[in-house]
Amino acid sequence: MTIAIRIDDLSFSHQQSGRPVFEQVSISVTKGETVALLGSSGAGKTTLLTLLDGRHRDWQGSVSVLGSELDPGRAPPLAKRTETGFIFQEFALVERSTVQRNVINGRLGRMGALRAFFSCFSAKDVAVTRAALSDCRIADIATRRVDSLSGGQRQRVAIARCLAQEPQLILADEPVSNLDPTRSAEILKLLTHVARQRGATTVFSSHQPELARRFADRIIGLRNGRIAFDVATADLTDADTMRLYDDAKPAPSTRLRVV
Amino acid sequence: MRSRQLGNLAASLLIAVALLWSLITTDVEFSRLLSAGPRIADFLGRMFPPDPTVTSEILQGSAETLRIAILGTLGAVVLSVPLGVLASETMVAPWVHRPVRALLALIRAIPLILVAMLMVGAVGLGPLPGIIAVAFHATGMLAKFYAEAIDGVSREPISALESAGAGPLVRLRHAIWPQMAPVIARDTIFRFELNLRESLILGVVGAGGIGFYIQTYVRSFQYDKAASVTLAVIVMVLTIEALNISLRRLLK
Repeated sequence: MTIAIRIDDLSFSHQQSGRPVFEQVSISVTKGETVALLGSSGAGKTTLLTLLDGRHRDWQGSVSVLGSELDPGRAPPLAKRTETGFIFQEFALVERSTVQRNVINGRLGRMGALRAFFSCFSAKDVAVTRAALSDCRIADIATRRVDSLSGGQRQRVAIARCLAQEPQLILADEPVSNLDPTRSAEILKLLTHVARQRGATTVFSSHQPELARRFADRIIGLRNGRIAFDVATADLTDADTMRLYDDAKPAPSTRLRVV
Repeated sequence: MRSRQLGNLAASLLIAVALLWSLITTDVEFSRLLSAGPRIADFLGRMFPPDPTVTSEILQGSAETLRIAILGTLGAVVLSVPLGVLASETMVAPWVHRPVRALLALIRAIPLILVAMLMVGAVGLGPLPGIIAVAFHATGMLAKFYAEAIDGVSREPISALESAGAGPLVRLRHAIWPQMAPVIARDTIFRFELNLRESLILGVVGAGGIGFYIQTYVRSFQYDKAASVTLAVIVMVLTIEALNISLRRLLK
């Protein structure tokens, strides 16, 4: 079994307040697995995902993503970052640009800097973008501007951009927190289905245990910076999820500095 | 609460003192205002009907004013792009953007007419001093607007492209530029309208444009010709304003 993510004894503190975010956390994710992160606000879900995306510094422990050891002292090289796709809670799209423009932006990291700057996309870039648009069922709105779309459509665009990047690992930070229950299930089904089809490893965070049960192979519960449980989906009990939300510390009032 | 009331009282007193000081120390004879009525009526009477024989001068002067505004705006854009980046809080360190912002405030504080007079002295009469003066004066405002446009972009799409492996220049081109381009276009059009209005007066100090004809006709008591030029100025300003409004709508 190939390991996609390996975290050993990770400790990380808030850079301004010194408040510990993680204490001695160890996680291992196998290639092709779909893992859900559960936890109350401030439990460290977003921080864990952004740390795996190479956006935090000064942590202790050892973190390896897709076979490369992350350096707590500096950002991972750009070429490595293309292998990891990130789906943002607030979509992170260029609002005035069209759907296809946003999706093809996922290809920019895979091109030479000059070609990327002047938008000289190859036939492969266009084909991959078309496939991503089609997989996310947004090919019919490809020429529409993002600022005219609904929340569900925007999240599909964000997923399509991530797929266009052809990542081996997909990190999704609460990808359905802005959607109604029906749309949430629809989007998570789409994300996990397409990721499995492409053999990508997926880690998504959520506040909804039912959705995690439906779409993940494995569920990790985070509470107060520690692993509360790490179980196969079939083994998750209601007591586990209750424990997760019952006595969690209040959400932190300050935000982490992302570098 | 008490300190706020004291502050309000102090502000009111300050305004009252400033008004009284201005009224007492300025040599204002209100009787002169009353007796000016017939003279104003005579002045307006001599403006009508406007003289249409100066059409060619009007066209020539308007074209020159338009050229000063266009080239002055172009000059301001060229200067404002680097200065805007250097004045941006998100692009450069405080030790760079703070002095650049102070410099821009200083440029804004120098009146256009003063710069035009200095430029006439330096490069001679004609439209060139006008263009330089407009470019210099407009840069103070435009570079500040550009810096605010850069600082106002949403950071998330930039993080998304960085996360996808795009380098800094590619992020600037594909995540920052699409967000700031409409703001920059709107600000530039707005500044062009201001430049046109301000450059109308440049002819008075010999820096080219239609202002020269207004000054000439008023000084030689040819009020009917001055009226024609004034009408042309009004038409030009209203046309540019209408154009500006429709362009801004397009850029929404």
